[in-house]
Amino acid sequence: MSQPNQPTNPSRSEPNVSSRKLHPQVDWRFDRAWFDELQTRLNRNGPWDDWSLYQLAVEAEQASQVTSFDELRCLRCLPLFEPMPHQIATAGKVLHEMGGRAILADEVGLGKTIEAGLVLKEYMVRGLVKKALILVPASLVLQWVRELNQKFGISAVAQKKEHTWQYDVVVASIDTAKRDPHRELLLATDYDMLIIDEAHKLKNKKTTNYQFVNQLSKKYCLLLTATPVQNDLDELYNLITLLKPGQLGGQSEFAANFVVDKRLPKNEDQLQEALSAVMIRNRRGDGGIHFTKRIVRNIPLTLSPEEKALYDGVTSFVRERVVETVADMASMLSLVTLQREVCSSREAVFLTLVNLFKKTAEDSPLRPKIWELVENIRAINANTKAEKAIELIREIDDKVIIFTEYRGTQEYLLQFFRTHGLHAVPYRGGMGRGKKDWMMDLFRGRAQVLIATEAGGEGINLQFCHHMINFDLPWNPMRVEQRIGRVHRLGQQHDVHIYNLCTLGTIEEHIVNLLHEKINLFELVIGELDHILERFEKQEPTIEQQIARMVAEAGDGTELRQRMSGLGDSLNRIRTEVLAEEPVEQEDAIAKLLDGAGERISMEASQ
Amino acid sequence: MNDRQVHKFVQRFLEATDCTILEKSPAHFKVKLSPYADRSLTNRPYYWSFVDRTGAEPETMSMLLVTDRTKYDALEAANEAQQEAQAAEAAPSLSSAAEAALGRSFGFVHGTMNTIRMPREEMFFGSRRLDQLFAASQAGGSYVYLFQEPERKHALPHDSTPYTAWLGVNMKVEFACDRKREELHSFGVSLASGQCVERFHDRLLDLKMTPKLPPNVHVTKNGISLGKAASAIEQTLERKLKQYDYGWAVQANEQLDEELARIRHYYEPLIQSALEEQKPAIMEQFDKRQAEIRWQFEPRVTASAVNCGIFHLAGID
Repeated sequence: MSQPNQPTNPSRSEPNVSSRKLHPQVDWRFDRAWFDELQTRLNRNGPWDDWSLYQLAVEAEQASQVTSFDELRCLRCLPLFEPMPHQIATAGKVLHEMGGRAILADEVGLGKTIEAGLVLKEYMVRGLVKKALILVPASLVLQWVRELNQKFGISAVAQKKEHTWQYDVVVASIDTAKRDPHRELLLATDYDMLIIDEAHKLKNKKTTNYQFVNQLSKKYCLLLTATPVQNDLDELYNLITLLKPGQLGGQSEFAANFVVDKRLPKNEDQLQEALSAVMIRNRRGDGGIHFTKRIVRNIPLTLSPEEKALYDGVTSFVRERVVETVADMASMLSLVTLQREVCSSREAVFLTLVNLFKKTAEDSPLRPKIWELVENIRAINANTKAEKAIELIREIDDKVIIFTEYRGTQEYLLQFFRTHGLHAVPYRGGMGRGKKDWMMDLFRGRAQVLIATEAGGEGINLQFCHHMINFDLPWNPMRVEQRIGRVHRLGQQHDVHIYNLCTLGTIEEHIVNLLHEKINLFELVIGELDHILERFEKQEPTIEQQIARMVAEAGDGTELRQRMSGLGDSLNRIRTEVLAEEPVEQEDAIAKLLDGAGERISMEASQ
Repeated sequence: MNDRQVHKFVQRFLEATDCTILEKSPAHFKVKLSPYADRSLTNRPYYWSFVDRTGAEPETMSMLLVTDRTKYDALEAANEAQQEAQAAEAAPSLSSAAEAALGRSFGFVHGTMNTIRMPREEMFFGSRRLDQLFAASQAGGSYVYLFQEPERKHALPHDSTPYTAWLGVNMKVEFACDRKREELHSFGVSLASGQCVERFHDRLLDLKMTPKLPPNVHVTKNGISLGKAASAIEQTLERKLKQYDYGWAVQANEQLDEELARIRHYYEPLIQSALEEQKPAIMEQFDKRQAEIRWQFEPRVTASAVNCGIFHLAGID
């Protein structure tokens, strides 16, 4: 009797179901299965169920009853989690006005996943969705599973084996899903709901991904993307055709009615209206969506003479090596790493040097040189940066997260802080899930400091902390942004303070200079950096590799400074290009169009 | 359901399924499950099939069910603080030293470590455990056959009270298109007279019920068949539902037509201009899209039973 509410179209042939009309337009089914079962039990004289459980069953049903069409019932089921007003408004609009088919096009960082989760949960609570398929890039599968399970109490499963598809809610990568043997299975299933994250990857209708998704059979459907149009209005058309074919007319009609040039729309009002029926876009700065400020402070440090000696030693060692061997990229990177490590801590560089020593042939002339450097390390008995860090932490007198690139530094800092009576806990990529959670709990509770080597990865939400120290900086700007993003995100109540420890007269000074002064990384709008780097790295080696090459090849400080400044200039140029590549009004036209589609919802959210 | 209602529900479920409550407060239960509850809550089908096949004595699980987490956590913190204070007062005694020594030689585990594993479960409305309790109540409370308990003992031993058999059923009615709402209806039909009453379940809640035929009671002869009674319920419900406002359904149908027109407008020219060999594929896709839209918007009302039973009530009705 507890058969799930299968919301599929009823098959009319079942004998124990009567099917008539209640109203000219309404089918009516009266299920008589219960009666047959009761009759059977009467004939067999039982078995009979318990009266208390009978009453409890009715109470359970009363509690779960969906009393109205319009309310968001799922909110009562989620006492541990409080979505933002714009997320609730968005979910409400998808459910009540869009019939459950929509493009969620919020800007990066506003919680599209949360909105999708709310919609899914609501449909599940109402018994309108049982079977759901969520297709995301492979790297996001586990993150989705965790979010759905922890935040929404939805038993989502990551697709691993073929039999995983039997589960009700499955998260999978689209590249797996479209391949055999999965493909046939999925195409033969009717999904109550389909969610696709990073849907802009479906902009081209000739790709196998697009065609696969188009063939899936689904009732409700959400497409998530922050960039519904990247280059061409056709992309938008293709996305919408996946969701609601004909919403913008046929392909030729669309071209005739709405497109002047690939990035220049016409009849904007009409197009915007058609768009807002299927797309919701919240923006930063919309009412109710508030990001706090980032306050960046660079802290210049002068190395002690011993540290400086080590740095110089390592630098000249690196330079010699580069000149001797016409180094390939890989070995160049690892050599330069030595220099970066010296700037962080002697522990970090020590490990690398010892490993290098072991790897070098016993009769190599390099061995004594390496050992000489190791001897240099012995001479150092204080870490200028670590001392400054302690001073800073005492001054801040609040929760602080410290990021470093190196395990060695992390271990050293833990030790160093402990001896100075500071309660610090580590966090790194290699830790198991449980241990990570435990460390987070400790940091939330007793520990004042978290020392992390890993900024990416899911699950680190540190809104309760608003001070971070970059003990050293990654050379990849995206990774810097990831670090900041752990703390500076929606829900952060305070301005976020970012401290960069920067040793003068070293490569670090150049890096900080590049990231901070040149491209003003720390104050870029969230999401802007992606575009700049995407374009920058299109034709060249990654920015990290370019910097490494410069550092290795540049003869002296002045030359390095010049070349870095050149790099900064070209990044800046790209940035202006990104913003103004197209004539201004065209850029505006598309942006206005997309943003206009979201206007109403953000007004609602701000109320 | 608020926290208190959840708490009460959990307690009644535990009692109804014969679980042993080891400890309780307004914020939690510590409980050793009964075999019935273990089967329906712990998701251990292999274990239970082992027990069933070998006839081994089952070892059921224990659980900590927290119905009010803030209150429970505060309580726990207070307890812990108290224990720590006590431990600090008591000087390192002989017994703890002895215990440590025993531990070293015999692998003896200290008392506090020796307790049964008790996984903590949050019970709030919407939590998976509570949903499981809901489902288990439904599974174990679907079909009943009950008698009203007489209110007092009869003065005369040979006096017999007449009882009437009723068919009672609780129905869930679902009104659905792309959205949905539900109603619950409870019907009872007297098998003696055929009269049909609503809110029958409420009437039952005022009575005491027992699965056994009480002494000095006789059941009057049924005047109508069970099938007739069921039809009466169906007709009553249908008549009632026909009075409802179906504006929502008209709206859904309008939307449905609009959506169908929209994809027709998209696919028909596409099919016309397509190459002959591509046509079947596009037609197939067109059909699929139409089916999806019907699936999404078509208004429908369905009624199904939550649970039902035969109830023997005092009196001739």
